[in-house]
Amino acid sequence: MELFDNLALGFSTALLVQNVLYCFVGVLLGTAVGVLPGIGPTATVAMLLPITFSFEPVTALIMLAGIYYGAQYGGSTTAILINLPGESSAAVTALDGHEMARQGRAGAALAAAAVGSFIAGTVATVALAVAAPPLARVALQFGPAEYFSLVLLGLIVSIALARGTALKALAMIFLGVLLGTVGQDIYTGTPRFVFDERELYGGIDFVSVAVGMFGVAEILRNLENEQTRTAIVSKVKNLWPTREDRRRIVGPILRGTGLGAALGVLPGGGHVLASFTSYAVEKRISKRQQEFGHGAIEGVAGPESANNAAAQTSFIPLLTLGLPAHPVMALMVGAFIVHGITPGPNVIVDEPELFWGLIASMWIGNVLLVLLNLPLIGMWVRMLRIPYQVLFPMIILFASIGTYSLGFNAYDVYAIVFFGILGYILIKCGCEPAPLLLGFVLGPLLEENLRRALIISRGDASVFVTRPISAVLLVLAVAALAVTVLPAIRKRREIVFSEEE
Amino acid sequence: MRTPSRYRVAARMIAAIGVVSLVAACAGNGGTAGNGGATGGGYPDQNITFVVPFSAGGPTDTVTRLIAEPMAAKLGGKIVVQNVEGAGGTVGAGEVARAQPDGYTVLMHHIGMSTAPALYQNLGYKPLEDFEMVGLVTEVPMTVVARKDFAPATLKDLVTHVKANANKVTLANAGIGAASHLCGLLFQTAAGVKLQEVPYEGTGPALTDLVGGQVDFMCDQTTNTSGQISAGEVKAYAVTTPERVKSLPDVPTTTEAGLPQLQVSVWHGLYVPKGTPQDVVQKLSEALKTALADQKVIDQMAKLGTAPVPAESATPQAHRAKLQEQIGTWARVIADAGVKAS
Amino acid sequence: MERRRSFPDVLAGGIFVLIGGAFVVGSLGYELGTPLRMGPGAFPLLVGAIVAALGLAIVVKGLIVGEAISFGPIPWRAVAVIVVAVLFFGFTVRGLGFVPTSAVTALLTTLASSRVRLVTALAVTAGLTVASTLIFVVGLQLRIPLLGPWLGF
Repeated sequence: MELFDNLALGFSTALLVQNVLYCFVGVLLGTAVGVLPGIGPTATVAMLLPITFSFEPVTALIMLAGIYYGAQYGGSTTAILINLPGESSAAVTALDGHEMARQGRAGAALAAAAVGSFIAGTVATVALAVAAPPLARVALQFGPAEYFSLVLLGLIVSIALARGTALKALAMIFLGVLLGTVGQDIYTGTPRFVFDERELYGGIDFVSVAVGMFGVAEILRNLENEQTRTAIVSKVKNLWPTREDRRRIVGPILRGTGLGAALGVLPGGGHVLASFTSYAVEKRISKRQQEFGHGAIEGVAGPESANNAAAQTSFIPLLTLGLPAHPVMALMVGAFIVHGITPGPNVIVDEPELFWGLIASMWIGNVLLVLLNLPLIGMWVRMLRIPYQVLFPMIILFASIGTYSLGFNAYDVYAIVFFGILGYILIKCGCEPAPLLLGFVLGPLLEENLRRALIISRGDASVFVTRPISAVLLVLAVAALAVTVLPAIRKRREIVFSEEE
Repeated sequence: MRTPSRYRVAARMIAAIGVVSLVAACAGNGGTAGNGGATGGGYPDQNITFVVPFSAGGPTDTVTRLIAEPMAAKLGGKIVVQNVEGAGGTVGAGEVARAQPDGYTVLMHHIGMSTAPALYQNLGYKPLEDFEMVGLVTEVPMTVVARKDFAPATLKDLVTHVKANANKVTLANAGIGAASHLCGLLFQTAAGVKLQEVPYEGTGPALTDLVGGQVDFMCDQTTNTSGQISAGEVKAYAVTTPERVKSLPDVPTTTEAGLPQLQVSVWHGLYVPKGTPQDVVQKLSEALKTALADQKVIDQMAKLGTAPVPAESATPQAHRAKLQEQIGTWARVIADAGVKAS
Repeated sequence: MERRRSFPDVLAGGIFVLIGGAFVVGSLGYELGTPLRMGPGAFPLLVGAIVAALGLAIVVKGLIVGEAISFGPIPWRAVAVIVVAVLFFGFTVRGLGFVPTSAVTALLTTLASSRVRLVTALAVTAGLTVASTLIFVVGLQLRIPLLGPWLGF
């Protein structure tokens, strides 16, 4: 069978000593930068790109890809341990993962994330090998109207990220969307809400928002009553998931993998939706809904699996069509070019060794990541024993440096302060930061696709319902809103009713 | 006893993170370590930073990284590429304009250097007055491409078609001031028609929608389009240069295809801040010439559908003349189109 | 029915109204455009109005059936110190360079805890400065000068 020949070719390439070695270097580096707040895979890949010039093309791409998915892995570690997500997907992991860490179950959370990611990575690699070209064709059916509806659905689904009231969650989502409009408008070039500061033209960086709303706000909360605060520390229970945990994560991992793999294929930002769609699904179908947000292991396993599956399948548009779905992939396009390979649909035919070698290396990379991360769990959990007086200055300092290094822009650092204070006050008022973060990430996509769809349709808003995929997504969005809001109203009526008695 | 042991754990953790990063950095540095410290005194005696005012992985970034290595070898130092994005390249350019004029901060900018004065009111720097020019690097040709099932067969047909359907046809671009936007403006002027433009955030998404058939046509650099053209994913009407492009031998020039007014290329040049010593500028210019004559650079640029500029253009004088001429040209085109970025 | 006022609800709602309102006012200064070609002001105007409306709803709800949340104390010292420390970092990193800026930021931050002793603070500062220099400058090759131009370098 052709597939087996191809995979054989892929593995014979990927298992060459230097390829395994650089795959390992890639995932190790990726894990390292993922763990550090601020510094992300994009900066790392940009920094290492010139070094790969002297490599074989396939080796170079294997290492760069390794950095990308390694960083996805490392980012969840920081989110779980110190509630500091570096990417929107990790913000979801932080919800229950950090709660688990506070309960002394950091080890179980990290293990669930590692195992989930591995299974997801394996399944997604198979999907990539079996069905990449047809999947890419399907993805191209998504135009601006479809993306608008998809993002709207995603925003409504993210109400589920909050423990509190749907009303506050909705307000936080839209506040995030609103803050996402800061910066130069891509349609007219008009700088919006920038107070004439050119440094703000590029908008507010996600890392500043995340570091402020999660990192700084969390630190301030912890410093509220130092006398009574017992370190999370002392009561590290068991390092590994219990049998009960293992039973509970099977379903979320499988569902997360499926969802993530499907969303990751969409080049217009599908991968950012993966982790929290999975979270919302798990919360919705779980029998223990009240545990979500208070350390439900499903809330770690599902989103982590979804995120990793999406990270793998988001290579599909790049590999089969030469179309990058993520800044890291745009860099990889640069790497193709530097190595004299014209990125585009012909890569799969002209460079089969590279195509299949890269796919095979992703599976090898996932094996390496598990081998690397499972033994590290013990070390990470011990990190929680660092006294808080050392830990919180470290978080603040590393976060400032990391954020500054994004673009050597002092405004990114100032933004940490703004979002730290705003986040702290809002959290104290019962508004949770995760929905805001997702609104912030998805807002620009929402606006861009709305305006673009209207330009293409000549201002006819009916495109959103006449295009079938878009219409289905909108129906789902309305249904999701109804499902979320109705129980809240019913519950309130129950409360009112009981109070009257 | 408990507290000190906790501090030890902390110290060990910090040390462990440090070791991991060091290992990583050593692994990373292996490839370039050989280049450092070859000259005896004088310029350069520290790392030179090439500022690219656009995102990493884009065409300008790629061109910069292609020439950085041979230039570093010739200069006998190390060149690091830094991406300072924002506001159509004006943030990075402004930063270099204000940098120490010592030759250790070099700007790589493209055609946008000449359009910024017309697009931005408060630019904060003057392209001709605040920089020393080092030399031109390459002129990347552009291509007029359309979704593969778009009706017109030739460039002439395209012009007729868009004139007849001006309110239906969509023209994609990669955002205000992007090369694709400028080329699109020039196309509309040349064809005498005003079209509905669809901006994207960068070339990748624009090309994705073109391949997916969501928009009708666009004009973009060969760096981005040649792979899609040779695979038949998009239809190519013409290249915007006087001669055909080697990697796309079947695509006619705009002159051959009957729209000679549409002449544009994305020219790139190197700049240093005003006041940089002349001998440093000269050294950089010489290194640039050497890099542009490097066979590897020539081959890789050819695969991108471009070529290094001839040696006489890789000089400060030629560069200044080009910039001056282009500022004038684009001021007119942009004023005619009524575009303003801020 | 008993009215249950909730200060946190009113405060949160007030913040949403304030920010939403500010964006609405700001976006009126930009072109609104047409449905075919929405201007830069249209989307923020719409979203700002939604945020303000939701904020208003939260205020009203907070006055009638508020959520029972305890607002808790505010660690004024920590807030002030961390704000100053991070602003200091952003303001001076270019001028003073990596090492002095990191050291001062770390030292200021350690003072956020009211239980800190001077010796601990200095030890933590020294440790973090060395660690961050090793990780970010030596390890990750971050291009920030160790000592900046304000110090005569």
